[in-house]
Amino acid sequence: MRYEVEVGGRTRQVAVTRLGDAFAVTVDGREWRVDAARIDAQTLSLLVDSVWLNETPRSPNAATGPVPAGLRPGYEVSIAPDPLGGLTVCVGSTPVAVALDSRRRWGRADDAGAAGAGPQRLVAPMPGKVVRVLVGPGEAVRARQPLVVVEAMKMENELRAGRDGTVAEIHAREGTSVDAGALLIVIQ
Amino acid sequence: MEKILIANRGEIAVRIIRACRELGVSPVAVYSECDRSALHVRYADEAYAIGPSAPRESYLRIDRILDAARQSGADGVHPGYGFLAENEDFAAAVRDAGLTFIGPTPAAIETMGSKTAARTAARRAGVPVVPGTESSLGADVPDAGIAAIAESVGYPLLVKAVAGGGGKGMRTVTDPADLAGAVRAARSEADAAFGDSAVYLERQLVRPRHIEVQLLGDIHGTVVPFVERECSIQRRHQKVVEETPSRAVSPALREAMTSAAAAVATEVGYTNAGTIEFLLDEDGRFYFLEMNTRLQVEHAITEMVTGVDLVRWQIRLARGERLDLDPAALITPRGHAIECRIYAEDPDNNFLPSPGRILQLRTPAGPGIRDDSGATAGLDVPIFYDPMISKLVAWAEDRPLAVARMRRALSEYLVAGIKTTVPFFSWLLAQPEFLEGRFHTTYLDGVLKARNGRPFVEPSPDVEEMAAVAAALQAALSPGTVAERAGDGGASRRWQARARAEGVR
Repeated sequence: MRYEVEVGGRTRQVAVTRLGDAFAVTVDGREWRVDAARIDAQTLSLLVDSVWLNETPRSPNAATGPVPAGLRPGYEVSIAPDPLGGLTVCVGSTPVAVALDSRRRWGRADDAGAAGAGPQRLVAPMPGKVVRVLVGPGEAVRARQPLVVVEAMKMENELRAGRDGTVAEIHAREGTSVDAGALLIVIQ
Repeated sequence: MEKILIANRGEIAVRIIRACRELGVSPVAVYSECDRSALHVRYADEAYAIGPSAPRESYLRIDRILDAARQSGADGVHPGYGFLAENEDFAAAVRDAGLTFIGPTPAAIETMGSKTAARTAARRAGVPVVPGTESSLGADVPDAGIAAIAESVGYPLLVKAVAGGGGKGMRTVTDPADLAGAVRAARSEADAAFGDSAVYLERQLVRPRHIEVQLLGDIHGTVVPFVERECSIQRRHQKVVEETPSRAVSPALREAMTSAAAAVATEVGYTNAGTIEFLLDEDGRFYFLEMNTRLQVEHAITEMVTGVDLVRWQIRLARGERLDLDPAALITPRGHAIECRIYAEDPDNNFLPSPGRILQLRTPAGPGIRDDSGATAGLDVPIFYDPMISKLVAWAEDRPLAVARMRRALSEYLVAGIKTTVPFFSWLLAQPEFLEGRFHTTYLDGVLKARNGRPFVEPSPDVEEMAAVAAALQAALSPGTVAERAGDGGASRRWQARARAEGVR
């Protein structure tokens, strides 16, 4: 099985092959031999040997510095959908945003910042009520400038621009309820 | 009392149910529409629906809660915290229905619920208050009059709602030119939140610490204070981390602060559990801030260092029992305790709420760890209420060991399906200011602003690699769990649609 997996802004080619009780997992040519035990529907316990490069990743909880070859670090991982359409993989207690096979996360404001290409679509990260729209059409905005205030869970939450640009479209209307993922504003 | 109705939800309802069980009292739950499957409903002996999910249609409906009490035959009502806990009309309605309200009298709630009346009570008890206006400034006081009063209070100052709480109806003013606007904003916020636009002015202390004293009072006139809690780690005026004892409080200062707290409570004839909040300035002077006439969220850390079950005592005191605790033991902490409030919020996205379904939950355990929670796997974190999902408490022999234990517990805390503030706490508990106890009430907002949204936990390349391996393995082993849910289908979307259909917020 082959997958395209995007982590930290970089797409990796990942192949999974069954090897008896374990799996061979190749990430951009680096091969890991992984003993994967299913804990529940979202959770796997991984024990990882490196094969090809004869190097072993560090356990996230261990002190820094390379781990000598031959060790077999263990990871508890949980894989769950992100409300914005991607996946959140927790490696131990460290959450990592992952997109599988170009199922991109729906334009979370802060993610769009780094890439810089194309329009930035600001969407509601949770269901709520639009309390205020702070910008007008054609207005120039700066990165991290608040654009829309959405009230949810007793709190008013500012949604901010991911990068500098110009307000191209405004879909948010003050006083209306929105679903998670609803398009609020497009920045060019 | 043989049967107690708990007029609350979430972790505090579960906490009170536990105390009821240990006393051999039958616990009765109430629930809103979205809480039918909540843990407090499953733990209780009986449960009664009290309306739609929006608080004002259920957990704030005095009539429906009293109907449930009558139907169940409960003879006592515990309000928990939040919702109706500091509503004197509720306390009076419970009493008038012939039931026991587990808390102070309606009169005490009313007096201490008004910030200006509470300040007057503190002054009468000989306890210093933060310099500010003596009486409330109603809507009829003109701007010019307020400006003159502000000059006498001194800048920088805070404009605060008389009926306020939780940071609502509060504005900081540094420049006199901003005063009128700040008063208008505070008035309109206070009117919307509390139905009362009265405000008062209070000088803003420089880098104060928030120190508070837990109290218990019986109906026979005895009031006992407990060792202080420090709650200076706050985000937008909301407590985030609490600990006891405080590093800033010496035994002599503890003696002075606990005596002052007891004097204020005695002045108003206070009964049951309550908390006096103080600000402590950099020179070690303390000032009365306000009183909370209820159980506090952070009561558990006091229980950890004193061994006293505060909720059990609330019930015993409401029954009219006498306090027979040793006062000296209550202000002599055994070890150190820290609490982290775990919220369903995304700390790496400006702490936006992250409601939804908890797919998997593994809470920490082991020596010195207590996790008070109303959350379980399979439950939704609703959009209607405060997003706190648990209070994680660590106890150890001293502060460094308690911090180490908390960090260990945070590393064990696994939640799938929603974002939580666990990574933020892992970061915070490694900061030198936190480790050395060098902080004040605006410390956290300051560092968060300076960080400007930088992620709290940046995955190392190795961790990113393992995340890629894990996602691919999950897709290969259980394609359904990844493909179905990553798109448009899935339970969380259906839940959101339902939440919207209910038309709230």
